[in-house]
Amino acid sequence: MQIIENSKIKEKMYIEKLENGLTVMIIPKKGAQKKYIIWGVNFGSVDNKFIIGDSEEVTHIPDGIAHYLEHKMFEQRTGINSLDTLSSLGVDANAYTTNNYTAYLYECTDNFYPALDEFMDYVQNPYYTAENVEKERGIIEQEIAMYDDEPDWALYMNTLKLMYHNNPIRIDIAGTKESISKITEKTLYTIYNNFYTPENMSIAVCGDFEPEEILSEIKNRMIIKNNNQKITRVYSEEPEEIKDKKKEVQMQISMPMFMLGYKVPMVNENMVKKDLAIEILGNIIIGSSSKLYKRLYEEGLILSEFSFDFEFARNYSHVIIQGSSKNPEKVIEEIKNEMEFFINQGISDEEFERQKKKVYGNLVKNYNDVSTIGNMAMSNYFKGINMFLYFEEFETLSKEYLEEILKNIFTEDKKVISIVKGI
Amino acid sequence: MSEKIIELKEGINAHLIKNDKFKTNLICVMLTTPLKRETVTKNALIPLLLKRGTVNYQSQSEISMKLEKMYGAGFDSGIDKIGDNQAIKFYMESISNKYTLEQEDLLKESIDLLLEIVFNPYMKNNEFIEQILETEKENLRKIIESKIDNKDFYAFNRCIENMHEHEGFGLYKYGYLDDLENITNSDISKYYHNLINEIKIDIYISGNFDEKNVEDILKLNKDISRLHPRKGEYIINNSSTETVQKVDNVRTIKEEMEIKQGKLVIGFNALARGENMTNIGIVFNSILGDGANSMLFQNVREKAGLAYTAHSTFNKLKYNVFVRCGIEIPNYDKAVSIIKEQIENIKIGKFSETDIQNAKNYIISGIKGIEAEQDTEIVFYIGQEISKTRYTVDEYIESIKSVTKEQIIEFANGLQMNLIYFLTGTENEDSENELESQEADNDE
Repeated sequence: MQIIENSKIKEKMYIEKLENGLTVMIIPKKGAQKKYIIWGVNFGSVDNKFIIGDSEEVTHIPDGIAHYLEHKMFEQRTGINSLDTLSSLGVDANAYTTNNYTAYLYECTDNFYPALDEFMDYVQNPYYTAENVEKERGIIEQEIAMYDDEPDWALYMNTLKLMYHNNPIRIDIAGTKESISKITEKTLYTIYNNFYTPENMSIAVCGDFEPEEILSEIKNRMIIKNNNQKITRVYSEEPEEIKDKKKEVQMQISMPMFMLGYKVPMVNENMVKKDLAIEILGNIIIGSSSKLYKRLYEEGLILSEFSFDFEFARNYSHVIIQGSSKNPEKVIEEIKNEMEFFINQGISDEEFERQKKKVYGNLVKNYNDVSTIGNMAMSNYFKGINMFLYFEEFETLSKEYLEEILKNIFTEDKKVISIVKGI
Repeated sequence: MSEKIIELKEGINAHLIKNDKFKTNLICVMLTTPLKRETVTKNALIPLLLKRGTVNYQSQSEISMKLEKMYGAGFDSGIDKIGDNQAIKFYMESISNKYTLEQEDLLKESIDLLLEIVFNPYMKNNEFIEQILETEKENLRKIIESKIDNKDFYAFNRCIENMHEHEGFGLYKYGYLDDLENITNSDISKYYHNLINEIKIDIYISGNFDEKNVEDILKLNKDISRLHPRKGEYIINNSSTETVQKVDNVRTIKEEMEIKQGKLVIGFNALARGENMTNIGIVFNSILGDGANSMLFQNVREKAGLAYTAHSTFNKLKYNVFVRCGIEIPNYDKAVSIIKEQIENIKIGKFSETDIQNAKNYIISGIKGIEAEQDTEIVFYIGQEISKTRYTVDEYIESIKSVTKEQIIEFANGLQMNLIYFLTGTENEDSENELESQEADNDE
């Protein structure tokens, strides 16, 4: 097994690529009460067009299928749902779908290995029937309806739709009532057979494990073989420009919410370093110790901190800023002015060092519990990153690099504005 | 995991929870007082005022800068409703001394800073700064108004408020706009000085530390030394304090909002009393509606496909069970009837030993997981403090294991439906929805 280590936080990760092509990552945590396992599949909501084998034909699948399939994985030939079996063992089992990948997981204190039997069995054995696929439709429709009532979600989806022309990230992960009506057991099998292949998957475990032992336990339960099926994912060309500038909608909320999106061009560069730099910039420009925050707070324009995140994957990257204000237009204008100020004046050494310390502390805090660590390992794996890189890149950060990022990313022509106001 | 309680002064206790598994220390200062309409709004205002500055860090930005220098130590405050009590909570989380880059004593710095924020605010002539009070009153107004934003919580809150109209538990923890208007600087400043010398204070610290060292830090702390001993009265809620009141009619309350999904909350009184009844209630609730094996999940969601969320909670301080679902609006009657049917089934013993075992496994796994996170550790001991009960994790597990089928049936038979609350769409919204979907069809 390959071992990577971080001396700062005193953690190790063992990595092994199995014969069938599946990658296993093991992060031992001596003395931890809980154990966590997550099985990720490189298939998310953005994968809606692809070519199977050497065929000329592009297969286009209904929106929301990755998520629908995730719901249906628990179904078993015996008629006993795997989620029930796992719950009976007292383990906390779940699954989720993102834009880029689908994940199955459980966390437990006891019964890790009995649960592993069930867990590895259900992910490797799909069982879809017309009846069980039909039954799920009402449940997923209610899940979609729940999100439809959430202003945060509307705010976020509108931001993505403003930034992107063709990138399928602009489509809701769960699809729509209309799109999911086209999903059948046949389409689910097509997806499973072509994407749920070992080289497309990874497993991460975190907890009190002996690396060799847990690796062999996983190998013993591994039945899927590499089928050498060639899949070419088709992504439409995405221009660097934003699609539209601004969108405002009304919902039943007490205070307007806004979101700014900055579309970041996809270039081949060090994303970890960029991620750290953007986190520090967010703190400097609008963090709780910034001049802008103080001013807006004292003027009664904001009530709590903004969120400031760099989101990226293989085929998209953007910065998202979110906040609430009785006067969002004014706050948006002030943020723009503050960015211009920092672009012109630069960043002070004192500020840079102080915020660097904060970011370091936040990196350390991520390593407290097994599920956070496992999830981090998985999401970074699908980005092609090993998570300890954050500590290494932290050392290389310079003020000049931050200033360059600030100039390049936060430009008006790449900015979109999404607003949700009360009725 | 164990808790060492040190009485610093009468009514002021430190609770040390030593654990070497975390990379952080978590400190929680908790002020607890009975929930009353006269004080609920003032109490909700206090943490907003306190985060604005201390004697040594006179503004919020100075506090923030200090926190950044402490490796991004996290500070947070909030209001909790615990039974009939209101708790004002202040948290600080910082990385353990051994992960600092220059061997700083962050634990002491964190304890001192948090106590300074709570007990030594920035004031002039013993009063808060007028401008700060005005801003924070406005902020609290917005927080009170934001009650409608999360529809699920809103519906849950409305059900509780209607069920417990005349008790502390029925109050909204952030207070009321009418009361907020009338708060003056002299009122709230006097109120604060009295409050910190009368209220029950508990300081919880979880992390890897030397207990003697932490005890010394607390005993030498200048802000603690200025505080007076106090009675620190609060309301103890548990099975013996909650009166058994029969309800003659089940009330149904429907409210409208512009929403697509209806939120259904049904509140029950648990009337059964006896030894270990709280743990019996926990097992009952798990069978009914906690987790994937539960009857609500299986029948409302999996079999009938009526909901994405369908679960129940048991409030062990107030002896209430709440069933909560997000459903399509026209399915209201169907959902209510399926929910009633599940409870009837438990009453007549229509569940198996396997169901009980599954429920117990699920609960016990949760109990064992308490030690895996610092905030759940602290919450575990807070619950004991408020209900005046003391038990270890192992004793808790044993009590859950001892629950029998007969006891669960007895608990279910003592359940009395009290109130059905339904947050539904407006009439107009329904017809608009229909129009929208018709348009969508035409597009195809």
